[in-house]
Amino acid sequence: MAADMRLPTLRKTVALSESTSDRKNLVVPGDVITSDTGFMRGHGTYVDEDKLTASVAGEVQRVDKLICVRPLKTRFNGEVGDVVVGRITEVQQRRWKVETNSRLDSVLLLSSVNLPGGELRRRSAEDELTMREYLQEGDLISAEVQSVFSDGALSLHTRSLKYGKLGQGVLVQLSPSLIKRQKTHFHNLPCGASIILGNNGFVWLYPTPGGLDEEEAGGFYTSLEPVSVSDREVISRLRNCLLALAAHKVLLYDTSVLYCYESSLQHQVKNILKPEVMEEVVMLTQHKLLEQEG
Amino acid sequence: MPTDNKRVRGPELSQSPALFACKAAPVAPQQGPRADGRQRDQVDVRPVFVRCGLVSQAKGSAYIEAGDTKLMCCVYGPKETERKDETDMKCGRLTTDMRFAPFSCPERGSWVQGSQDKDFSLMLHESLQPALCLHKYPRSQIDVNVVVLENSGSVLAHAVTCASLALADAGIEMYDLVLGCSIRQDGGSYVADPSYAEETYCSSDGASDQGRLTVAFLPSLNQISGLQSDGEMSAETLTAGVRTCIEGCYKLYPVLQQALIKAVRKAGPPPSES
Amino acid sequence: MATVQVSEAEKVYILHGIRDDLRADGRGCEDYRHMEIETDVVSNTDGSARVTLGHTAVLVGIKAEIGKPRPLVPNEGYLEFFVDCSANATPEFEGRGGEELGIELSNMLYKVFNKHCLDLRSLCISEGEHCWLLYVDVLLLQCDGNLYDAISVAVKAALFNTKIPRVHISADEDGGKEIELSDDPYDCMRVDVENVPCIVTLCKIGHRHVVDATLQEKACSVASVLVSVTHSGSVTCTRKVGGGSLDPESIFEMIEAGKRVGKSLHAPLMKLLQQEESLGKRRQKVGFLG
Repeated sequence: MAADMRLPTLRKTVALSESTSDRKNLVVPGDVITSDTGFMRGHGTYVDEDKLTASVAGEVQRVDKLICVRPLKTRFNGEVGDVVVGRITEVQQRRWKVETNSRLDSVLLLSSVNLPGGELRRRSAEDELTMREYLQEGDLISAEVQSVFSDGALSLHTRSLKYGKLGQGVLVQLSPSLIKRQKTHFHNLPCGASIILGNNGFVWLYPTPGGLDEEEAGGFYTSLEPVSVSDREVISRLRNCLLALAAHKVLLYDTSVLYCYESSLQHQVKNILKPEVMEEVVMLTQHKLLEQEG
Repeated sequence: MPTDNKRVRGPELSQSPALFACKAAPVAPQQGPRADGRQRDQVDVRPVFVRCGLVSQAKGSAYIEAGDTKLMCCVYGPKETERKDETDMKCGRLTTDMRFAPFSCPERGSWVQGSQDKDFSLMLHESLQPALCLHKYPRSQIDVNVVVLENSGSVLAHAVTCASLALADAGIEMYDLVLGCSIRQDGGSYVADPSYAEETYCSSDGASDQGRLTVAFLPSLNQISGLQSDGEMSAETLTAGVRTCIEGCYKLYPVLQQALIKAVRKAGPPPSES
Repeated sequence: MATVQVSEAEKVYILHGIRDDLRADGRGCEDYRHMEIETDVVSNTDGSARVTLGHTAVLVGIKAEIGKPRPLVPNEGYLEFFVDCSANATPEFEGRGGEELGIELSNMLYKVFNKHCLDLRSLCISEGEHCWLLYVDVLLLQCDGNLYDAISVAVKAALFNTKIPRVHISADEDGGKEIELSDDPYDCMRVDVENVPCIVTLCKIGHRHVVDATLQEKACSVASVLVSVTHSGSVTCTRKVGGGSLDPESIFEMIEAGKRVGKSLHAPLMKLLQQEESLGKRRQKVGFLG
């Protein structure tokens, strides 16, 4: 029992690599990127009197003749194949609405999920009526982006055993731009817990599943057995590490998370979020990451 | 507390003549029997008179009288929710409204609901909600209105009792009746079901354990659904006070049960001769 | 109130965690999140404080004005509270959305702070005619659970920081009185905050209760008890909030726990405020950029 009270201190981000002032290719809305007419206008730009001008604050990216400005702080702009973690907000006719941190709610069609009973099972009218039994409002799912509608809304699918309803665990909501794109976003970390780094910035931490008994249930069965205290501690530590990394704007992927976890081991879980501990832990992590690269 | 400014009130500076009385109001004695002859330090609640079904327009209604505290409650509903945006598909909505008639207190009040009334309404809401089977009334709304006709202390406690009686009279499904009881702690001693004078008087300075406590209680389930105290008390006094209030609630319980049975008997068809 | 959705499985996880005294963020059941307090943040007030608790941020400004004492207590000044739930904190407060919560919070503050805790007589200038009126305005900047506790700490810090200018009453020839404000800006009166209570909110979750619940934890709880406790451990106000009911025994336990936790809040708070005061001008001001 303790309340940690203190005076606020100015927070500085621990940055080892490039300091923000060095990054020359940052623009703000209205900045002229180029007056050369030979370039093509991409996202985040507009043409004003033959000059290519930025319409969002962010980083300029050039691919051949195409110039885009990628906003660093944004809602999730999904692309086909992205792994997302989302929360069901509404059950509708033959579809679920899913909140995925993007501009519009995403859609999960009844026809894009695996129902219990194998992949070849036919969908009947009955399934439409019992949709709420599979997924109801508030449930969390992991899914993949199947397609993007013209208005930017995402259509999801869970047609793989790794996707589906999420059971016990902790959700951490971060900025999508902090998640590093990788081959896989599902990791069983050696520290004893698993992590799903959704491209949409939603990160799911859960105890590494032991048996493989979920397969028959089609991913809709969630165990409500108590999680052991040791697993819980690992998950809590990972959660606080994620928040610490995010506070200092470190890209998140399995290695960075794991290094951060290791650097934090000398501190108690609840202390990780204190500013000075957070700074120290993130600093250590970044050193480790640099060593590994170099 | 902030006053209402949307309506023209009477002369702003009018004051009750009681303020100009030469001698201060008699201070309630610290020892001995209370002004109305009840005992202190005992769960000596005022005898209550309750009656159900007095307002024919309402779905259910109740009237309660304890000493000079008189209040009535009407229940309307269940009916379709008025505020569509807040319609809950799984659960009904309870709205409570508690008002003091302007003449109910020694000083005249305003007809417009002040923030104190809103606070009472909220307390009433929180005390009643746990007792109602709201999940049986999806998409609908139940309104509870309480009017205090005469305030002679322990208003909130009696309002809770009265409202639960009216809800039962309206045939709303409930887990249990809710009973309210309050005490006034005064140093080492307490008075149960305090009157207005006992509730408001300020005792000599420096005395510890001065406070008021109101508890709403579900007797059959042994659950506390409402708790409110103010004034400075030690945790032990507070705990003892809660126990006293529970005891007070048990005292009222049979009276309410009888009143309800009487109301049900009156409402039902005469028993068939067999 | 800002609410979050939590799935059944997440609820189970939170519930079991609390049973094992290990919450999702690694805290025990009676641990507070890390709290930052800064006073004297708004120059136009007589006293102000900003408190952040996790991501909950509260700003309190106090203005002292001269008014007429209430007829029932002619020798005391009084406090007025107003809580603004602006849409900045959460979109749910837009329009009139935050009004109900604002009234609820300010009513609670009246109950907690208006009696006993301050020497209201020291706010009296001349009996029956003039007194100091402290307007306490609370602004919610961010909501991340446990508003009551954060607000009470902020109010206490702001009251500590409040400097009321000294006034002198001089009688003129006709027997009328005149109020004169002291010219010296340092000639001011402080409020004694020793007895000002702090609120502890205890959320009943499963069979246990926790302090300083996050929004996720709040979503798992049906009822909580607010206990406001002074430094000496006496309870000045209690209140059950939320739609559920509680066992008498657990209420007693919660009051006991609230008293214990509340009592332990005061010493570090006062120490911090005095430390900040002693730093004076050397203190690094952070303001809203922290």
